[in-house]
Amino acid sequence: MENFSEVLTLFLSVDNFLAIAAGVLVGVVVGAIPGLTATMAVALALPFTFSMEPVTAILLLVGIYKGGMYGGSITAILIRTPGSPASACTLLDGYPMAQQGKAKKALKTALYSSVVADMISNIALIFFASYLAKIALNFGPPEYFWLICFSLTIIVSVSGSSVVKGLIAAGLGIIVSTIGLDAVYGTQRLTFDNYNLMDRVSFIPLLIGLFAIPEVIEFYTSKVAPHIRTAVSGASLTWKEFKGLLKTIVRGSLIGVIIGAIPGTGATSAAFISYSEAKRTSPRKANFGKGEIEGVAAAESGNNGVAGATLIPLLSLGIPGDVITAIILGAFMIHGLTPGPVLFQENLTLVYALFCGIMVSSFVLVFVGNAAIRYFSLIADIPKTILLPIVLMFCIYGAYAVNNSTFDIALMLAFGVVGFVFNRTGIAAAPFLIGFILGPMFEDNLRRTMLISKGDLSIFFRGPITWVFVMLTVASLIFAIRRYWVARKEDALA
Amino acid sequence: MEKSELQFVAASESHYGRCNPNSVLGCAFSILALGFLFYVIPSHIEIPGQMQHPLLSPRFLPQLAGWLVLVLSLILMVDGLVTPPKRSEADEFRRGVPIMRQVLMVAAGVVYVLFFEELGAIGSGFLASVLLFLASDLRNIWVYALAIIFPAIVTLLFIYVLNVPLPPGTLWESLSLI
Repeated sequence: MENFSEVLTLFLSVDNFLAIAAGVLVGVVVGAIPGLTATMAVALALPFTFSMEPVTAILLLVGIYKGGMYGGSITAILIRTPGSPASACTLLDGYPMAQQGKAKKALKTALYSSVVADMISNIALIFFASYLAKIALNFGPPEYFWLICFSLTIIVSVSGSSVVKGLIAAGLGIIVSTIGLDAVYGTQRLTFDNYNLMDRVSFIPLLIGLFAIPEVIEFYTSKVAPHIRTAVSGASLTWKEFKGLLKTIVRGSLIGVIIGAIPGTGATSAAFISYSEAKRTSPRKANFGKGEIEGVAAAESGNNGVAGATLIPLLSLGIPGDVITAIILGAFMIHGLTPGPVLFQENLTLVYALFCGIMVSSFVLVFVGNAAIRYFSLIADIPKTILLPIVLMFCIYGAYAVNNSTFDIALMLAFGVVGFVFNRTGIAAAPFLIGFILGPMFEDNLRRTMLISKGDLSIFFRGPITWVFVMLTVASLIFAIRRYWVARKEDALA
Repeated sequence: MEKSELQFVAASESHYGRCNPNSVLGCAFSILALGFLFYVIPSHIEIPGQMQHPLLSPRFLPQLAGWLVLVLSLILMVDGLVTPPKRSEADEFRRGVPIMRQVLMVAAGVVYVLFFEELGAIGSGFLASVLLFLASDLRNIWVYALAIIFPAIVTLLFIYVLNVPLPPGTLWESLSLI
């Protein structure tokens, strides 16, 4: 009871509610603007959180994440441009609905499916994260070493069209992560005697550089595309229609939760699995792809069911499930917190305050989403010619704010060029970030294990937990390679 | 033209030749990885005098990642030579972009990197935004008012609402002293 009052004291502040509302609003707006992604919004918002309390900061980022997941579907439905990869599934039926004059119905279906899925995902987070964290208390360095190895296999699934290129990017990310003073011996590694690099490469300039700057460079190195205006029209979703969709939404949400809890699988596969399952079981399966409302509900519930669940491995084990949770992991670290079982031991009130905020964010999404549907055309009609100079300004100010150093601005722009080259050559930037984050964790746990065992390698297989992770790593690799070959074959046939 | 000839023309237009992004990228990364493994690591990563195990070496992870990049780059290069990738529609969209547009973008970046502390957050934000508006060939004079309004609002937001300091501009400070 004492803990409960502490949680309420920590959570019930105006700042937290404002952060959630602002986060969801920014997420929906950014997600709704073609070319801007939720990942970019979370990366750009990170410098704003420096002066905030940890709970407020994390809630702001989680709000953006959740808002962005829904916002991406708005452009998918209205102009056939998915704001996020996961929304690609929503456009299969959402866009045909918009063409039939049912844009408002499609948008409302997407919103309410997202909100219900989000709630179910949050409940899963609250119940499973603490349970998993209790198990993780038995982990030592060898177990963590294998857990990181397992997490590294997510690189294959975030590599986009080319796994080889993704793995190269991950290797480069690991190399960049080793810049700085060595943690054990204190010797210089790849610093080139530059004192700015002795304290490792700053996370925020790298993040903003990789995910926001390439959009700006791409715009100014391509022809100006005509600005597409959008329109929200038609009848809204009725209660009877919504009740008819509930079964599909709950099923999609559960698929999203299961997939989201497994690191690396991501919202895109959840959306497509939910969609294909709805199509398989629907009496109107022939209408899928031609403007079927159930298709929109299935895709969006699968997509948003992932949002809360990806926080399960992050909070309980300290490993990111996707790119956005990798950024949120960075936010925890910036605020001096280390996600994982220790967080549940030492900062339990903070964890539960976060849970409260995450639940509230789902309700906020209802209001913000409805407002976005009404006023969307005003927001999305800002042309990129005006928007991108402002985005660049936010990037520059954010990078400078980390250490009050212009070196970080240069670093960010350099990573921006790297991200741009990656974009142009079909290399996904996400593996680079995962490599950058997991590289030091891999090295740290490897070294700790070796120090404990005094060089005896049998410690890596010391008990059932290590074996479980070894098997998970091998299984994950086999599945990933199989998926890669199937996709390659399908590409060749196409 | 025969149907087979048409197909051949279409195929040759949609695929790159041997010198394609994958083979070039693979070759470039291989050279970089070799340089990293055999020059950068030995000369820029110090090894401590006493070490309990080779896995504890500060060179272990960079070497592991370097070899990974080298092997994968060679695979990418061979893959590019054997099966050249298809051209994408985006490639066409990137052709014929005015050089001035790109020069102005680079100039905006240079303003931020070199003059951020001298001109301050507002000054450099204004100048860079004007350059980027010019790059997009914006003619409406009112749009240029945004170039001063937005940097001012965002700077004030950072400094007063979020307590994140941004430089006021050493140039203006020295001018005010004069």
